[in-house]
Amino acid sequence: MSKHLLKLRVNGKDYAVMVDSYDRLIDVLRDRLGLRGTKEGCGTGDCGTCVVIMNGKLVNSCLVLAMQARNSSVTTVEGIGTTERLHPLQETFIESGASQCGYCIPGMLVTAKHLLDENPHAAESDIKLAISGVLCRCTGYTKIIKAIKDAQLRMKS
Amino acid sequence: MTIQQPGGHIAIGKSIARLDSLEKVLGRSIYTTDIVPEGAVIVKPVRSTKAHAVIRGIDTIEALKVPGVLRVLTARDVPGINVSDCFGAARPLFSSGKVRCRGEMVAAVVAEDIHAAEDAVEMIKVDYEPLTPIFSPLDAVKDGTPKIHEAGNVAKHWKVRKGDVEKGFRESDIIVEHEYVTPTQEPAPLEPEASFATVENDGSVTVVGSMQNPFYVQGMIAQILGWSQDKVRVIHAATGGSFGGKSDEAPMDTGALAAIAALKTRRPALVAYNREDSMIMHSKRHKFIMFYKTGAKKDGTLTASECTLYADTGGYASVGPLVVMRATVHATGPYVIPNVKTDGYCVYTNNTVAGSFRGFGEPQTAFAAESQIDDVAEKLGIDPFEMRMKNILRSGSVTATGQTLDNSVGLEDCLRRVAETVGWKKRESGKSGRGMGLAVIYHGNSLGPEGVDRSRARLVLEEDGTVTLRIGLTEYGTGARSGIAQIVAETLGVPIDFVKLSPVDTATCPDGGGTFASRTLILGGRAAQNAAEKLRTKLVEAAAARLHCQPGEVKVQGGAFSEINAPSHTFTMKELASDLAKRDEPLTVDGEYTVEAVDFTEEKGYGTPYLQYTFGAVAAEVEVDNKLGYVNPLRIVAAYDVGKAINPHLLEGQIEGATSQAVGYALMEEIVHNEGEVLNANLADYYIPTSLDMPEITPILVEYPGRVGPFGAKAMGEPPIDGPAAALVNAIFDAVHVRIRELPATAEKVLLGLKPRAS
Repeated sequence: MSKHLLKLRVNGKDYAVMVDSYDRLIDVLRDRLGLRGTKEGCGTGDCGTCVVIMNGKLVNSCLVLAMQARNSSVTTVEGIGTTERLHPLQETFIESGASQCGYCIPGMLVTAKHLLDENPHAAESDIKLAISGVLCRCTGYTKIIKAIKDAQLRMKS
Repeated sequence: MTIQQPGGHIAIGKSIARLDSLEKVLGRSIYTTDIVPEGAVIVKPVRSTKAHAVIRGIDTIEALKVPGVLRVLTARDVPGINVSDCFGAARPLFSSGKVRCRGEMVAAVVAEDIHAAEDAVEMIKVDYEPLTPIFSPLDAVKDGTPKIHEAGNVAKHWKVRKGDVEKGFRESDIIVEHEYVTPTQEPAPLEPEASFATVENDGSVTVVGSMQNPFYVQGMIAQILGWSQDKVRVIHAATGGSFGGKSDEAPMDTGALAAIAALKTRRPALVAYNREDSMIMHSKRHKFIMFYKTGAKKDGTLTASECTLYADTGGYASVGPLVVMRATVHATGPYVIPNVKTDGYCVYTNNTVAGSFRGFGEPQTAFAAESQIDDVAEKLGIDPFEMRMKNILRSGSVTATGQTLDNSVGLEDCLRRVAETVGWKKRESGKSGRGMGLAVIYHGNSLGPEGVDRSRARLVLEEDGTVTLRIGLTEYGTGARSGIAQIVAETLGVPIDFVKLSPVDTATCPDGGGTFASRTLILGGRAAQNAAEKLRTKLVEAAAARLHCQPGEVKVQGGAFSEINAPSHTFTMKELASDLAKRDEPLTVDGEYTVEAVDFTEEKGYGTPYLQYTFGAVAAEVEVDNKLGYVNPLRIVAAYDVGKAINPHLLEGQIEGATSQAVGYALMEEIVHNEGEVLNANLADYYIPTSLDMPEITPILVEYPGRVGPFGAKAMGEPPIDGPAAALVNAIFDAVHVRIRELPATAEKVLLGLKPRAS
């Protein structure tokens, strides 16, 4: 078990931490940096609750080794908005009733933000495809999709 | 959405945003593994690798040598009673003597970190002497089969007897008989089970965890430790879904295990199941094998129903006996049938344990009953809608168990609306592989014959004039607590933001019973309403004293108390709270509500099992690919008689979510047991619907107020999962004339059904 120095940027802030070779990005985010918004639903890349944006792409942070994220720029749910300044997606998720148990919500928000940043004119079929990588057992996805569409309108204006 | 706009309500019927969304969209640390203390030891369960065996010995020597391992726990480390069982006393916390399924915990490793724990788990050697295993309930009930439990392999038998089925069949013009099979379904909450325990300075233990029922968990942990209940405190953490998986023994197991480890090491201890542990060890939906025989006259009038249900409850019963009770009572479907004979058997096998899962026996029987009705209709040449209109329960109808229904029966309304909305009359069956199907359901509210159903709530009037609601019913996604807050706001006459919900903690909340059986809003709501009525009376009296008028002359509006004839004379909640405090009047009010007893019993098999029912109708449209067999669900229209919609938005959310679980049940979900081993204990090989698998869902709410719930509300957590699978299967038949009698309706099964025609 060797220790390595990991330098990365998370939500715009630079960090340097010592990690073990087998540590995963999700372990660094949650346990080392205290950013526990990113969740672990399965540990095998099947559920999407651990999804974050890394260097502009969506990744399952449970499948990324910590050192694979060296010198990377990562965005988690904590980087999307704050109490003082909610992202439009966070507003619409609240208004639409898109959150039930809440466990998939960070993964959904990160995925939706990534989609709308890349493709502000995303159609409903694009939205459904984009969020198909995050499982939700509570909502049936209906209100999540509505919330994303509402946020899209809000972001355009 | 067809709801009457309530006249004059301030909170009832309003789609007010639920109170807990903000912390969830911000990604706050609120779930169990987010808030575990620093320096906690990690505890990992060691699962049985045999389905049925005697334990000759457990060798922990190699495991203890792994660096970072602190302890290996087994049955002898249980200080009190080694039982973790919802219903009886047969299921141990740690296997002792014999294992009856592969989900049992034989031992547990306590270590500094997860890697040491996982390594050590691999090094535990258990010496098993195998016993003959049984994997089918049909085998388990045969004479001469080895006994899984001493008292025999049938854990429970329930029955319904009405009229004379033999006579009924003799009077039938047609009799249809089939076997139906439904799979073991996994609840698959996105958050796996987790609990952590800390030992307090006074020697007591605090357990924080993901669960549905903190008071049941508290009771079981105390018993396992051999302590009085007041030495165990259980705090409910935000829970990432449950659907029943966390209603039964799993949170008791994780909580007790954490407590024992914390006591042994004098450090906080975390038990967090990984996805595999979770899917193997927690409760799943019972696989049912059902034999249905239905008789009818040629005009479609149902004459007789004989059903035999076998539920595979696995190595231990859990709440299986209660699941089978509900299934037995509802087995025929919501129809008028003069002659009924139903037998439901809760049967042990050496598969993993089945227990609570949303629907609780009804998704199984609705699939069978609604398939039967369609089959009878088809053979008689009657349209499935007309067949149902002819036989469904209405006000004043007598149910399968001999209960006469009151006027709170919205079933016909639901059926008409879904048929209209989906375009039933205009359907072109089979064109482009498309078809439509119907299903109707009923779902008895509250615990019924399960036992006394009582709930409690406490309201605390704070100095700042807000009101804190302390209720032991928990949030794990349903939103019911927000609905209860609305009821309190309405009753007190205050805006919703005056009502705060206190976290659920056994130390500070009254025990209001379990957060299951869809009873939260209706039972918890009535208890909270009772407390709010009492508090309102006190406040009105205090206002009357200040205003120098009679209580009857006080008007309450927007949190302000004024005199009807002199509206400028106003006092706020804050002022009145301060008045009451100065006079040393208690600012805490307790409320409660108990449902009247029912008279349906095990012995009689007849009578009234539930005082009100939620009724529903579902219409589904599918498109079947006749070369690949793939079923694409296009639309589901679902109407429910909700009694009174306290929060329409939250109800839609429940309908949409439950429908997604039913779509999975119908088309893709199945826990595969092979020789008692779960082969697909992960979310890659067990398929739950993604956003791409979902049909368009149209929820419709109708209101026929009932007598049990607040403002006439009916239970809605579970009913929406009962019917959609049946509707989908009926739609498949309408599309391609393939009758699926075993769920899930996979492409393979549909193709096999299509095959004979190819040649």
